[in-house]
Amino acid sequence: MLEVTDLSVAYGGVRALQGVSLSVRAAQFVTVVGPNGAGKSTLFKAISGVVPAQGGSVHFEGKDLLALPASDRAHLGIAHVPEGRQVFKTMSVLENLEMGAYPRQGRQHWHRARERIFALFPRLAERSQQMAGTLSGGEQQMLAIGRGLACSPRLLMLDEPSMGLAPAIADMIFERISQIHREDGVTILLVEQRVAEALELCDNGYVLETGRIVLEGPHATLSQDDRVRRSYLGLGDI
Amino acid sequence: MSGLHPRSLLPVLRPGAGRRLRRDALLFALMICVYLAAGSLVKNSYYQLMLTLVPIWAAMGLSWNLFSGYSGLISFGHAAFIGVGAYTVALSAAYLCVTPWLSIPAGAVLGGVAAVLIGLPTFRLRGHYFALAMLAYPLLMLYVLQYLGFQEVALPMQREHPAAWLQFADRRMDMLVAAGLLVVAMGISMVVENSAFGLSLMALRQNELAAEAAGLNPRRLKMKALALSGALAAAAGGLYACVLLVVTPDAVFGMLTSAQALVIAMFGGVGTYWGPLIGAIVLIPLAETLQAEVGDIIPGIQGVVYGSAIILIMMVAPDGLFWTVRDRLQRRRPMAPAPAADIAPMRTQVTAFRTEAAGPLLVVEGLSRAFGGLRAVDDVSFSVTPGQVLGIIGPNGAGKTTLFNLINGVLPADAGTVTLGGKSLGGLSLHQIARSGVGRTFQVVRSFPRLPLLDNVIVGAYGAGLEGAVAAESACLALERTGLHHLAATLAGGLTNKQQRLMELARALAGRPRVLLLDETLAGLGHEECDDVLLVLERLRDEGLTIVIIEHTMHAMLRIADEFLVVDHGKMLARGSPHSVLEDRRVVEAYLGSKWAAKCSK
Amino acid sequence: MSDPSVFFENLINALAAGLTIGCIYGLMCSGLGLIFGVMRVVNFAQGELLMLGMFITFYMVTSWGVLSFLGPAAPLVGALIAGPVMFVGGMMIHRFLLTRVSGLRTTGSADEGHFGQLIITLGISLILQNGGLMLFGSTPRSVQTTLSSSAWTFDTGIGEALLFMNKARVIACLVAIVVAILLYFLLERSWLGRSLRASADNATAATYTGVDVSRAHRIAFGLGSAVTAIAGGLIATSISFTPFSGIDYVIIMYSGVVLGGMGSILGAFWGGLTIGFVQQLSALVLPPQLQNAAIFVVFLLIITLRPEGLFGRSAERA
Repeated sequence: MLEVTDLSVAYGGVRALQGVSLSVRAAQFVTVVGPNGAGKSTLFKAISGVVPAQGGSVHFEGKDLLALPASDRAHLGIAHVPEGRQVFKTMSVLENLEMGAYPRQGRQHWHRARERIFALFPRLAERSQQMAGTLSGGEQQMLAIGRGLACSPRLLMLDEPSMGLAPAIADMIFERISQIHREDGVTILLVEQRVAEALELCDNGYVLETGRIVLEGPHATLSQDDRVRRSYLGLGDI
Repeated sequence: MSGLHPRSLLPVLRPGAGRRLRRDALLFALMICVYLAAGSLVKNSYYQLMLTLVPIWAAMGLSWNLFSGYSGLISFGHAAFIGVGAYTVALSAAYLCVTPWLSIPAGAVLGGVAAVLIGLPTFRLRGHYFALAMLAYPLLMLYVLQYLGFQEVALPMQREHPAAWLQFADRRMDMLVAAGLLVVAMGISMVVENSAFGLSLMALRQNELAAEAAGLNPRRLKMKALALSGALAAAAGGLYACVLLVVTPDAVFGMLTSAQALVIAMFGGVGTYWGPLIGAIVLIPLAETLQAEVGDIIPGIQGVVYGSAIILIMMVAPDGLFWTVRDRLQRRRPMAPAPAADIAPMRTQVTAFRTEAAGPLLVVEGLSRAFGGLRAVDDVSFSVTPGQVLGIIGPNGAGKTTLFNLINGVLPADAGTVTLGGKSLGGLSLHQIARSGVGRTFQVVRSFPRLPLLDNVIVGAYGAGLEGAVAAESACLALERTGLHHLAATLAGGLTNKQQRLMELARALAGRPRVLLLDETLAGLGHEECDDVLLVLERLRDEGLTIVIIEHTMHAMLRIADEFLVVDHGKMLARGSPHSVLEDRRVVEAYLGSKWAAKCSK
Repeated sequence: MSDPSVFFENLINALAAGLTIGCIYGLMCSGLGLIFGVMRVVNFAQGELLMLGMFITFYMVTSWGVLSFLGPAAPLVGALIAGPVMFVGGMMIHRFLLTRVSGLRTTGSADEGHFGQLIITLGISLILQNGGLMLFGSTPRSVQTTLSSSAWTFDTGIGEALLFMNKARVIACLVAIVVAILLYFLLERSWLGRSLRASADNATAATYTGVDVSRAHRIAFGLGSAVTAIAGGLIATSISFTPFSGIDYVIIMYSGVVLGGMGSILGAFWGGLTIGFVQQLSALVLPPQLQNAAIFVVFLLIITLRPEGLFGRSAERA
């Protein structure tokens, strides 16, 4: 479904990604983990097109994504839930969700998607008229995920959904993500700092370190591997 | 050149500026001679007037540049000062019978006062609001003068004493006086640009937060610059009134006047005294000639010329002609041979850092800060003893940078205290805290790309209140410590990423901090580069500098930190020796999640 | 002033004038509110866009007389024609000038880029003012119809006080209200409007949801230009104007937007209305030349003391 081949990104003279390749098959749950500053968010931004790629290719269902302007990529059925949530702070919760449904397929299935989002996150239904900027961190994260779901995506990309959240809320978010994967059949690409949770959910995982993929494999293998821990703590020398 | 003897001004100048100044002063003197010689040949009175206007507008451009060019706060209302000067001269000639020789300096004083009065409320405004407010002041004055009935003030004819009233029968004398004004304006600009003051202003433009964290007082600096700029603009406005003989509110307070001062400086080049000069030489004759030739058929051609000039320059060469041409020439010049070793070994044994009294140096107690519902920093307490290196670690968004911001006063704390050497830092502003000895580097490095490395570093010394030779010495020592002394004369724009990081470090060291807060100094560096910077940090530690460092690269932290402090969700999780902290279950949990930690402890 | 009933008559007439003129100010502020309040572009040329709206109406109605067959309604139609014309004009200014100097095309809110834009709009303003002088001449113009010189008179029932409502102004005011309501619904209730607000709120996130942000910014700028131009056409029926008239309204508009709270279109309208009242009421105590000065002082006070606006916080909605 998503094929990233030999992707390289640099900005400001710093090489953020160097020859990264990964593949996501339909209905899979794929996780990318790695220490801070490894280039995980850059990978997502390059796929979404908000940072330009220097080399390599990204294909989604056979289409060359790098040839498309960033705004067209959402219309193909890719939803990006960005790091730090990035909700529209001056708009209401409902309007944020409606913005998520901006692509054509989103507008067609908007009512069904809204029901589903409110079923997953009843809190959003309670607060639907509230300004997004006044929500708590956890609620904003729910809203960001809800906004991603609103376009009825086939691929949902989640960037550090647990960042800055209390453990109980983070667990709830992971539970929902897993539910979305199982019940709605949405393909998931997740970037996370909580390695254990992230690897537990995934079919396949990648470890990214200083812009390179240093490990990959099915979750059973990775979660046994101490090199993941060493990499994560930045102890290096894998 | 009268009134400017570089030698006598040496104390206020930056090291190495003297030679540049002498060269530029010579070139400028030559230009003035050419101007006067050419002017003396012109017989047509209209062209004489036009030639007189060139230095006057150049002086107005210089005055705009003196404030906006160096400080980076764009003023859209310099007409306020020009108008004050022009009206002072016109009204005192018409009603008080005072000669311009007195009223021009008086106007300059009033212009300076107006600048302070305008600056007091306006510097509190940020970005857009500052621009809008500055636009409003001259228009406000315009309406008030119209209301007071000064729609048109003519300077009375004084044929008997032409020299006393600046009403020469031979208009070439006007050129001489205008050239005199320009010499004064240029002299002030040259000294400012090459002084500690000018460099401090440029530091504000580059990054106000970092400049203030280095100890500079932004408001005072801006106020001084605006007062100087306002006085100069008013003096130019006064002479402008003498040349025009009639003053109207629209001509001196109008939007076109403000725009013209801005356009001349921006067209020629911002942040250099050559800029307004070039701008005036190109634009004034162009606009005036067009106005004279086709102004009758096409009124408003002047405004269109300035409007087009500014749009053109912004789209093609946003820094102005001077910089664009210079950058291009410099690129063409063959590159200087790269220095053999990019970090030089230390030449001499440098003296160790000042010895501190025993006992904790930096004490943080119960520090807290919330943003809305999010407790970014929650009851954090720790202390650092002299010579210690404390590493702060924690996952993304844990509140580490916020903690730094609370310690050095970028943000006010909701609760808690910070003391340095027994003295409380509570209630002090950012630059005061810097002056008491808290140095800081930021995640984003910003340099003056067109200034030599030494100038980039010496700002740190100026920030700490050091002056003249002491500041230079401190900066040189900082360069030595970071291994950059062999690059002191290199333009900062040509430095590598690693050298820029070291430069930032040197800038902080130049202020002779008692505690240095380092925020991700190694971010974005490759493995070998990391090692080089680490060597420098290790050296600083061995010399006895007290350091608190935030860093993600754990193996780097293991090399330099004596102790770790782990922060997560704004709270302190653990503190202790590096290895004990890394084995701590709560730490593994913070980084890898609870399930992983559970698995490890099984 | 000594006679209370005269004072009362002056007062209620000033209030009525404040209401009618204030609604038109409100409309022009809504246009700037979109550009400055929502998109955070300081546009010094906004006054000139207004001025162009006045002259488009003038040429349509008076000079060329294309619309003269419409009789008293001609200025209104002329003003409404100025809208689409300036919509295209605004989009072109944005496309060919503003986006050339900053990163606004993709994301971007770097301060330097904004200063570049600011300076470009100053250039545009100079060109439009002086270009206007070339094309339109410096003679003060006005758009007069039979309604401009007639008024509805009401007896207030208090003393001998009479209330005069200029017919042209009342009708222009009503049109302004209708246009403002349409704008409000467009922004609040349509996919286009939401995408414009989302792009201004968080350009990157808007891109993730599939919005072409540079197009959205362009449309928003065009819309803001159009609305202000319509307001210019509406006010042209009751004042006289020259190519330099824009500058008088620039500060009125910015005052209104800041007063109403940045980022809120509805607030901008209320802000403009308030400025209308301030201006008309100040006429009771101040000489006419100082009316604009009074607005400047109000403006400076607002941005110094309450930059978040009088009507609520900047984070609040449109």
